[in-house]
Amino acid sequence: MFVLSEQQVSFILNDIRRNGIELEELQLNLLDHICCIVENEMRSDQNFEEFYRSIIPRFFKRELREIQEETDLLLTFKNYYTMKKVMIISGTISAIAVVFGSIFKIQHWPGASVMFLLAVLLLSFVFLPLLFLIKAKEVKVKQQKITLGIATIFGIIVSLATLFKVMHWPFANILWLVSLGILFFLFLPIYFFGGIRNPETKMNTIVSTILILFAGGMLFLLTNLKSARQYNYLYFSSTENIGRSYAFATEQNNLKIAIYTKDSLKSKTDYNALKNSCDELCNKIEATKNQIIEFASSGRDPKPTFENLLADYAGNYDLPTSQLFGENEEPKTQLAEIRIGIDNLKKLVKEKYGIENISTLNTDDVNKYGNADLGKTTWEKGAFFHVPFELVMINLSQLQLDIRTLESSCL
Amino acid sequence: MYSSELIKGTLKTIILKLLSDNGKMYGYEITQKVKELTDGKIQLTEGALYPTLHALEADGILTTNAVNVGNRIRKYYTVTKSGKKMASEKVNEFQDFMKTMIFLLDLKLNIG
Repeated sequence: MFVLSEQQVSFILNDIRRNGIELEELQLNLLDHICCIVENEMRSDQNFEEFYRSIIPRFFKRELREIQEETDLLLTFKNYYTMKKVMIISGTISAIAVVFGSIFKIQHWPGASVMFLLAVLLLSFVFLPLLFLIKAKEVKVKQQKITLGIATIFGIIVSLATLFKVMHWPFANILWLVSLGILFFLFLPIYFFGGIRNPETKMNTIVSTILILFAGGMLFLLTNLKSARQYNYLYFSSTENIGRSYAFATEQNNLKIAIYTKDSLKSKTDYNALKNSCDELCNKIEATKNQIIEFASSGRDPKPTFENLLADYAGNYDLPTSQLFGENEEPKTQLAEIRIGIDNLKKLVKEKYGIENISTLNTDDVNKYGNADLGKTTWEKGAFFHVPFELVMINLSQLQLDIRTLESSCL
Repeated sequence: MYSSELIKGTLKTIILKLLSDNGKMYGYEITQKVKELTDGKIQLTEGALYPTLHALEADGILTTNAVNVGNRIRKYYTVTKSGKKMASEKVNEFQDFMKTMIFLLDLKLNIG
């Protein structure tokens, strides 16, 4: 039996390394295998190198590195399969969560936010990255890998921006603009100029680019629509008008009371009782408004103006609801006290001033969301529960004005 | 010699069965053993054998033991517990497959 020298062993090892066998374990296996063949099959009159050259083609069809490639494929196949499975499961859960989240949100059922959060996190951090890894493996051209990567980043940022928008978190608009920037200035140019060079993909590339431009343009249009600003102005001016009327009514009432208490035939205490109870109630409402504004602008420096708050929180009902209602949708103390104050004030007005039909400050049950088909709900819930920020502020200001109007009618 | 497609589908079964029966073996030994048992009718190619051995090892079906032989290292493969189970499953599956194939091909031959 032929015994291989150390030089011959290193010769074989170097040769298989040079020919693309990278995995050390595989190198050792092949080396031993080749040595065994040489030791068992080479005749003593044969030349080692010639014999080696003659047996090595047994190992492959075209080149030796096929063994390395086949090993890599088999080793990654298991991961690949799991990745695909996780990708499909996460994608399915995410899609279901987003559909149910929307339904829950529209119906004002609890849990909508959790579902949106789950959907977007799964999509952005599990589904899309896995999709990228799997797709990137399938394409060979580097430029296509880059396009896929940018598309993935775009998808992640767009879904995060949508989540931020729905949850009324800060920086939603910035994220949204960043994602559109990526789409228009990174993805589209690379996709278009990459695809148009190849005659096979030219037509598809042009059509897809037009469609993406169209869809992207529409999205941009939606973000830039001025209608939101017009509504904000409307809310702003109506709270301001109510505020002005309130200030005027307060001033007039105080003047009247001051005159009456000097030389009126009526007793002094009556007016003071009325004034005190109105003042106390209005202050309580003012404090509630301030508390909501304080909460909305917490952690922001400089403090945002009311107009800025409207731009950020118009349509957001979670914020005021969290401040005014506790667990089990019960009104918190402050709101409960306002209701008691209103009822007491009306009782006082009825008893002392003989006003019977008080049509303002009605705290009877109201129709749910103003719709008679949905049944009745309490006054507190009707005016404040799941009611957007801007309307809660208007409703509170209107209450103050109504109190002053009622006070005025007694004077 | 059988075609490589036929051997490829049964390669894992052959390896697992041989290792279950013979304890530890190394790559060259496996090819020689198969050749000897089949009178040279089945010759495992190295290009298919080693990738499969590495994949089985990564899956925890085989374990290796490195031994110095002269001036090189030889890796001996043995089946793990789960490998033994897999070996008998594979052999049973193949037996069943053969029955089905005999039935299927006979049937076709009869029709023909």
